[in-house]
Amino acid sequence: MIPTPHLFSRRAAKALANSRLQATFARTTGKFLGARNAAFAELPDGEALRDRVAAVRDEALLALDVHLARFVVEAEKAGAVVHVADDAAMARAIAARIAKDEGVSLAVKSKSMVTEEVALNDGLASGGVVVIESDLGEYIVQLAEEPPSHLVAPAVHKTKEEVAELFASKLGEKSTGEIPELVGIARRKLREIFLSAGMGISGANFLVAETGTVVLATNEGNGRMTTTLPRVHLVVAGIEKVVPRMEDVPLLLRALTRSATGQKSTTYFSFLTGPKRAGDPQGPEKMHIILVDNGRSAILAGKYRAILRCLRCGACLNACPVYQSVGGHAYGWVYPGPMGSVLTPLLTGLYGSTRLPDASTLCGACAEVCPAKIPLPDLLLELRFDARMMGLKRPEEILAAKALALATRRAGLLEAIQRVAGLLAEIFVKDRKVSWMPGRLGAWTAKRDLPAPAPVPFRKLWRKARGIGPWTR
Amino acid sequence: MDAMTPLSRLLGRLRAATGGVAGLCATVGTLDVAILPEVGGDLVEAFTEALRSAGGEAFVTGVHQEEVLVALAERLRAVGATGLFIAEDDVAAREFAMALVPFGPFVVFSEADLRALPPPCSAGFQTVDAAVAESGAVVQSTRGGRSLLPGILPDVHVALVPGGSLVPRMEDVLARFSADMPRAVSFVTGPSRTADIEQTIVVGAHGPKSVIAVVTP
Amino acid sequence: MPVPVTLFFTCLADTFRPEIALSTVAVLERFDCRVTVPLSQTCCGQPPFNAGNRPEARAMAIRFLKRFAATEGYIVTPSGSCAAMVRHGYPALFRDEPIFLSKALDVGARTHELTSFLVDVLGVTDPKSDFKGVVAYHESCHLKRGMGVSAQPKSLLRAIPGVTLVDLAEADRCCGFGGLFSVKEPRISEAMVARKAECVVASGASIVTGGDYGCLMNIGGFLSRAGYPVAALHIAEILAGSAGTIPVPEAEETE
Repeated sequence: MIPTPHLFSRRAAKALANSRLQATFARTTGKFLGARNAAFAELPDGEALRDRVAAVRDEALLALDVHLARFVVEAEKAGAVVHVADDAAMARAIAARIAKDEGVSLAVKSKSMVTEEVALNDGLASGGVVVIESDLGEYIVQLAEEPPSHLVAPAVHKTKEEVAELFASKLGEKSTGEIPELVGIARRKLREIFLSAGMGISGANFLVAETGTVVLATNEGNGRMTTTLPRVHLVVAGIEKVVPRMEDVPLLLRALTRSATGQKSTTYFSFLTGPKRAGDPQGPEKMHIILVDNGRSAILAGKYRAILRCLRCGACLNACPVYQSVGGHAYGWVYPGPMGSVLTPLLTGLYGSTRLPDASTLCGACAEVCPAKIPLPDLLLELRFDARMMGLKRPEEILAAKALALATRRAGLLEAIQRVAGLLAEIFVKDRKVSWMPGRLGAWTAKRDLPAPAPVPFRKLWRKARGIGPWTR
Repeated sequence: MDAMTPLSRLLGRLRAATGGVAGLCATVGTLDVAILPEVGGDLVEAFTEALRSAGGEAFVTGVHQEEVLVALAERLRAVGATGLFIAEDDVAAREFAMALVPFGPFVVFSEADLRALPPPCSAGFQTVDAAVAESGAVVQSTRGGRSLLPGILPDVHVALVPGGSLVPRMEDVLARFSADMPRAVSFVTGPSRTADIEQTIVVGAHGPKSVIAVVTP
Repeated sequence: MPVPVTLFFTCLADTFRPEIALSTVAVLERFDCRVTVPLSQTCCGQPPFNAGNRPEARAMAIRFLKRFAATEGYIVTPSGSCAAMVRHGYPALFRDEPIFLSKALDVGARTHELTSFLVDVLGVTDPKSDFKGVVAYHESCHLKRGMGVSAQPKSLLRAIPGVTLVDLAEADRCCGFGGLFSVKEPRISEAMVARKAECVVASGASIVTGGDYGCLMNIGGFLSRAGYPVAALHIAEILAGSAGTIPVPEAEETE
């Protein structure tokens, strides 16, 4: 997917003007967030759980090279073939080559954010491979030729009528439009694909270094079909997914599922180690694992390392009042909401994406729910600083900051400005309410009044009240 | 390792990124079990409750094997599952399925052809490796060449849980397997589901539409 | 024994609503504080800091520290976000500058938001205010999440006989101010403040209050433009009651 985060404000405005979308986002995120809060309240010590998740993730990152190397050794011992993709283009090339070498023309895919990130489907398509998404939400947005709008609920922006229309026009499947019927149609159509596809593609929630195991958490059952039935299993995973020990995985899964949807577990947790072995009645003959860097090693080296703890649960999206208002498409790439506002600039360059870290009030709701305790507001603030140091800020903003610094340099100067402003307000402003401001500041007064400066600032009132001389030293 | 491979280059980048800090010793310390959800003393009770709240069903045989067979047969007839699908070598599943036949009409068949779809409305019978009391999960693995299909393809998944294989937590199951991981270890908690359309939960997405665990002594 | 307190009155209160600063002094003096008001203070630097303009924020912070490092004892401010800036923002700003860092840590440790100072330090349970009104309390993000202050302001409000504190739905949901955010993403900001205003109006309150004037300017500004009969008042003004506009003669001023 080509990143277009610079269009954030425009898309946000469209989303805000769409009352149906507004209602949908509010309902969905509210439901997920409420379920998440209920699930955490039930835990004996949710805070301690989050602390441990953060510690386990940090430990993995601290020596990521060691754990990744171990993962490769163990996975290869189990018979998997491991590839390394430095960037998106390499990932696509490797996948295309695998498909070609294995003689694959049809691939079925279970949900994976990193495959969207590297545009894997495009890479395979250009090699003549048809890729069908099997996660119901992804299947829907694929038919609609749209990007997903939420990490966990990709088709959250679609109504059942829209889905029914899509199934009718793209699949030739008419229906009454009731949701169970629509799910039944998808089940039937996709089962044919599961059984005929030459390759199943999945992501990984975790990669276990100790045993070379790929861990997948799914609800629909498509993950299991994708990784059992086709002859080739291709795993695509970001390098940061590595965890050192098997014994840490259940804790991470508990945190992940509760944070994402409030579930105690997803229906299926699959632990996959290598391809089919002698004696296995079914399973993929070949397992290929593509480990994707695409900028992660650079993040690891820097001050933003904490974002690599991310479990892709989507809790921060659900908690964010900005995401709740504008939805996922506004963010212009695969990763939306607070985590996307950090990851998109880091992976695609701050140059085109400064709007994302700016599109936040730093309210902290995201940090409150992040299972890995990623300090998202701090990271967003840091990105704003980076934007300044990289010369990406508007000159007016820097000028205004300098003007403020100058005006507040001496109390005397500030007071003089306040007196003038107060005087002008007394002359020109009715009821101490300003209802029009020039230029960019007019954005405030479109729907809000602004209080006028007080006729006499506090500092002057105080001096008068205490009988002190006119100038401060 | 040849310095020119993508992997060695990646590892080099990562080593440089972390300052080459060795990390072979765990720094997080042992997990304090007190932070995990409590699991009741009676594992069978905890398991059946957890599975039920995840949308599955559970029967416990013991002295009353016959009652369970009657109840299970009724359940299967109610959803129209007439085919009882088992893996070739799953002796216990075959015995159990055969024991149900008198309460039929049921037909027992095994996966003669790996790629054939079990007929619509069939129930897959499978002896599972373990079950987890905390979550209500049944665990299927490929250890010993076991087939996963009875738990994946049919509409109904009947999981036979040997009572002695019921453990408190997922960690306990993984501890058994991790020294020598089979190709696949699958934790199955209730039926497949999706909420991808209008956030409305529909039970029965791509996997089985219902999961019935039968805990045997 | 009077408790010596230095007042950090905030640039917003100074410029737009002196009543807040006057009220803060009145309340502190009511509870036996000897309030010093250094008039050389201007702004703590939060606006440029939150926008990522650290060079300007640093310059302003250095001046703030110069003015307040010379003080002793408690520094009290009627602003959750300003207190958070000094306590949490300054150490981040000066993380690589040991001398300023140690000043920042010293000043930060002594800086308190008003309601938490009253309750946690002075042990006030009843603010002894004559204020009357039906009040909804908005939990500003910096005060609640940044400073961990939430129970204290509400307990003080509940103790005022003339105040009816009503439940406010989504009380800790961000009002959409976010400093520059309100002009950088005005439409989103408007949507957020509209939602906040809806909750305020639905609560039945005739006054919405909180510990951060920026939020109140935002919420109050929306309510007034939309014509709702709800006023936005800073909690200091409610705690002070009618004493809030009259500076008490005993306190001192310093440079």
